[in-house]
Amino acid sequence: MYILGISCYYHDASAALLKDGVIVAAAEEERFTRKKHDVSFPINSIDYCLKSQNININDIDYIGFYEKPFLKFERVLHQHLEGFPRSYRTFLSKLPSWFNEKLRVVKTIRKKLKYRKDVLFIQHHLAHAASAFLVSPFKEAAIVTVDGVGEWSTTTYGLGKENNIHLKREIKFPHSIGLLYSTITAYLGFSVNNSEYKVMGLAPYGDMNRKTNPYYQKLLSVIDIKSDGSYRFDMGYFTYHYINKMPSKKLCYLLGGPITQRGAEMTQRHKDIAAALQLVTEDILIKILNYVHKETNSENIALAGGVALNSVFNGKILSSTPFKKIWIQPNASDGGTSLGVASYIYNTILDKKRNYVMKDAYLGPSFSNEEIQKFLNQNKITYSVFKNDKELIDKTAKLIYDNNVVGWFQGRLEWGPRALGARSILANPTNPRAKEILNEKVKHREKFRPFAPVVCDDDALKYFDCDKPIPEPTDFMLMVYPIFAKWHKKIPSVTHVDGSGRLQTIRKPQNPLYYNLIKKFGKLSGIPILINTSFNIRGEPIVCTPQDAYKCMMGTGIDYLVIGKFLIKREDNPKDSWDSEKYAND
Amino acid sequence: MEKKSFLEGVKGGQKKYGESLAAIVNSILLSLAYFLGVGLTFIFAKLSKKHFLDLKLDRSRESYWEELNLDKERIENYYKQF
Repeated sequence: MYILGISCYYHDASAALLKDGVIVAAAEEERFTRKKHDVSFPINSIDYCLKSQNININDIDYIGFYEKPFLKFERVLHQHLEGFPRSYRTFLSKLPSWFNEKLRVVKTIRKKLKYRKDVLFIQHHLAHAASAFLVSPFKEAAIVTVDGVGEWSTTTYGLGKENNIHLKREIKFPHSIGLLYSTITAYLGFSVNNSEYKVMGLAPYGDMNRKTNPYYQKLLSVIDIKSDGSYRFDMGYFTYHYINKMPSKKLCYLLGGPITQRGAEMTQRHKDIAAALQLVTEDILIKILNYVHKETNSENIALAGGVALNSVFNGKILSSTPFKKIWIQPNASDGGTSLGVASYIYNTILDKKRNYVMKDAYLGPSFSNEEIQKFLNQNKITYSVFKNDKELIDKTAKLIYDNNVVGWFQGRLEWGPRALGARSILANPTNPRAKEILNEKVKHREKFRPFAPVVCDDDALKYFDCDKPIPEPTDFMLMVYPIFAKWHKKIPSVTHVDGSGRLQTIRKPQNPLYYNLIKKFGKLSGIPILINTSFNIRGEPIVCTPQDAYKCMMGTGIDYLVIGKFLIKREDNPKDSWDSEKYAND
Repeated sequence: MEKKSFLEGVKGGQKKYGESLAAIVNSILLSLAYFLGVGLTFIFAKLSKKHFLDLKLDRSRESYWEELNLDKERIENYYKQF
């Protein structure tokens, strides 16, 4: 039995395919269209899912959609009614898309896919909950979902047991932690639904002390937080419920200045505001989790929704709440809901036993050595061939040890926003200039943003002060932990200003080639850790195909590309006229 | 070649003209819907003191959690988009 899950029209459109309850393929549309956070109907992702199994649309038994469009439209109408006449402009700009596509999901599916069987719809937060719990290792777990907004819910909690999920309570729009985070993101001059993680990275540069941060109390004053974690905002400080612009004049006045211009230098004031936001977010979430633990009496917690990508908070959950185990799916935000709806149909609606636990995030397209070589030959690209995996690992580890920046393109593309060793850029973390080099040569990103370390699971506890045993979400780069002080100077490029690191742990069965490469690098350098950053430039999605990877390398300062069993040196090939800096606009 | 590019230009211009016309008509129709539909509903709602979003802070309340009770339903309900 095949079930296809679809999410689209808000942000991060995606598709996921289940075969007899096992996720066999999943990908986000942006990877194919090369438009970051592409919202359009995920026709390319669906095409990939079907081709990966050599099936066609007639083989699909059910299609699931990740939300109830009419319920969401009801909320949108309520926003316009409540915001009259200030909502006029938004009404004119947003309504056509509702009539043209968002309310015509079934018609679009029938037309674009020529699909004639059943299409099922589940609520947005249920899709989030299912995307976490049903692929988790837990038979029973408390579930918390927190994002911007679904139909009406912005925060929910409940309990998952075997095949079933019961979402018990909710916080409704317009009160939303996700939208609070987005509002301050916009206030600081970053793009909404994209750059929230940058604000999280900026926070440690600010005053993280609740008593001395001047903005902490100010932000708290606009929120009424109850002891059970439930909350409401003073909506006079926000405008997102009736127009697109997020912070209100009142909020600007409270924070002591106008909305920051995009690209402006971050001052101490900006950093303190980011810190205050992170502190307030953590306050609310810790209270929610403590309350949910009391309500559900479960030792396990499954988290989902965009806020579950806040890896700084995630790293504090087990030490700050009574929960003993945590699970977060690598694609915890809206992109992951296609997987959630497909799993919910199979496990819950059709009542089939759960037979899948997500062990890794490698669910996207892969390219055989033959396909890669064909591409290289057709484009007259100069390359050499590794004799075997040992030579590949030895040579690549040496290149990284010699401070080269290496593009790493191996196996299936990752599911979710993080590069986890399939489409990664790797560098030497012991080099104090690595951060500078990566920023100058490739990433062109804000100076304050740290790079992430990857370490084998059996070495992690030597360098990082992780929870024990190391939680599985660490494999998906979803947990930030302190780096032991004695290593700060030895791996400066991956040590954030507060001494933390957003590490990825890799277990050998997940990706033996990647695991062995890190081990080999450890033998050369004495420290088995690599810098792992996503294989893209700022503003672009992670590369998907050999062509994307080659183009990215030639337009940037990546020194070598290790793609399948082939090694490409940038200097051996004519420099492309494509200039990555031109596109580094986000 | 010149003729081809000329025709392509005409075609592009026609498309742009059509799109602009559609945008104007849409704006007029949507404005009517907004001021007649949304506006009138807003006025009646104001008169009857109905609110469409729960914006009020109530510091005396013990909790802001609201009952959701989302559980497995009959399969027919999942065909509905509401």
